[in-house]
Amino acid sequence: MPSPAPGRSTWVIRCASLVLALLVPLVAGGCRSGSEPSASPVRPSQDAAQVRLTSHPVTTKTKIHRVFGRLPEARRKAVRRQVGEVVDQWWEASYLGGSYPRSSFPAAFPGFTKAAEKRARADKALLTNQTRGSRIDAVTARHRTISLDILATDGRARTATAAFVLKFDTDGELVGTTTVRGRLFLVRRDGAWRIFGYDVAKGSQR
Amino acid sequence: MTPPSVRRLRRAARAIGLAAVLAVTALVVPQSAVQSTEVSLVKIRHAQGVAVGPKDVVWILAVGSDARPGESMTRARGDALQMVGINTRTGSATAIGVPRDSWVAIPGHGREKINSALYFGGPRGMAGAMRNLVGIEPDYVMVTRFPFFEDMIDDIGGITVTNPRRFSDPNLKKEGFAKGRIRLRGYDAMAFSRIRKGLVGGDFDRSANQQRTLRGIHASIRAQADEPGFIERGVMTVMQHTDTNASPAELFQLAQAVAQVDPSKISTCVVQGRVGYVGAASVVFPDVAQARRLGRDARPDAALERC
Repeated sequence: MPSPAPGRSTWVIRCASLVLALLVPLVAGGCRSGSEPSASPVRPSQDAAQVRLTSHPVTTKTKIHRVFGRLPEARRKAVRRQVGEVVDQWWEASYLGGSYPRSSFPAAFPGFTKAAEKRARADKALLTNQTRGSRIDAVTARHRTISLDILATDGRARTATAAFVLKFDTDGELVGTTTVRGRLFLVRRDGAWRIFGYDVAKGSQR
Repeated sequence: MTPPSVRRLRRAARAIGLAAVLAVTALVVPQSAVQSTEVSLVKIRHAQGVAVGPKDVVWILAVGSDARPGESMTRARGDALQMVGINTRTGSATAIGVPRDSWVAIPGHGREKINSALYFGGPRGMAGAMRNLVGIEPDYVMVTRFPFFEDMIDDIGGITVTNPRRFSDPNLKKEGFAKGRIRLRGYDAMAFSRIRKGLVGGDFDRSANQQRTLRGIHASIRAQADEPGFIERGVMTVMQHTDTNASPAELFQLAQAVAQVDPSKISTCVVQGRVGYVGAASVVFPDVAQARRLGRDARPDAALERC
């Protein structure tokens, strides 16, 4: 039986290698979430014994969608920072922070008015990780964005609507991604921003 | 016989080719299709809540002033009078309408038509007259005049109301309003709320029409509340067009509370009465017992089971 010409085999291997060389980085890139900013993996150490993937923590991106009324630039920045912090505190207390597994979220609503906290406690199944927390070992934030609409009078911000999207991965018995999105309503009271209302949806993908 | 080196080359080529195919497949097949057996979508749940102050129920007295151009709208007659309650815990809301010609006690001014309470005592005087009749002290009083009311309706894009019967008015709406669900822009909403002459029930039917307008306003706000900036824009409009004791932050809270009212939990009643005369003036002698009962029933939860 005639054997194939050695030159032809070499050509096939070269072509296939080229295809692989082009595709593998693309596929590896495709494995990362395409549209959503995610934790960027740190380049592993050259030392194989120390190879370990870690993630940069995802920070909250807060932007101002629109200001109704006049508000100086410096105050806009202050509102963006302050409201961002209030929303962050709720996320940390209700979903991201603390040790897992746990089913108790006794102080889940920092930054809420007393009356709003009372309402929120009745919606704890949705506004915290309470119902699933006992089957979770760890929570990792993947996406945290806030968009603000601000109402200002006399050069001061009076109210804010914070439209937000929070996505986090869970490990443990419940592995998957949870998305919490919606709006928080805030007023400036006694020198601080307080959440007096919410309109929130939550869903998980496993 | 194929030499071993060639067979190794072929195996290597096949392996690389297979890897390439797999790589291409992974790239082009949607992730959901690849993971179809592993993905389960948990039902998306939804929750909403608003708290306005420490109480569950907040009361707003809405007044339509008949002030003419150049007149102060808080020192004119109050032609449209609706006591509106919102329960932020249950999502219910109620409106108790009072005919403007109701003959009532006005604090410090004896007995007069209730619409003059605004002229004599301003918003506070009107709140006192309504409290005497219905037994509810409003937390907020909001007064607007008809042209401003028209602007506000236009700003929210108009409203839809359900009109139980055709009626018209030679001055305000010659061609009249058709029976059924009708779309109203600013002027028509004003005329719909203001016309009395063409209505069989006169002042009582007019008050009921004002409540239909309130339902239409609520539906329009609720439908657009989640559009970024809609509520903020609305609050700015209200601040420009009303006289109120509510701060901008309180108006914002009230607007969010309105947006979260469940349409199926809205109840409305008009205080009934007997038409008569005081001197030459035509007045309504309101059914005070009914007014008090409505106030008593609605005060704790902003809900009315019967009129």
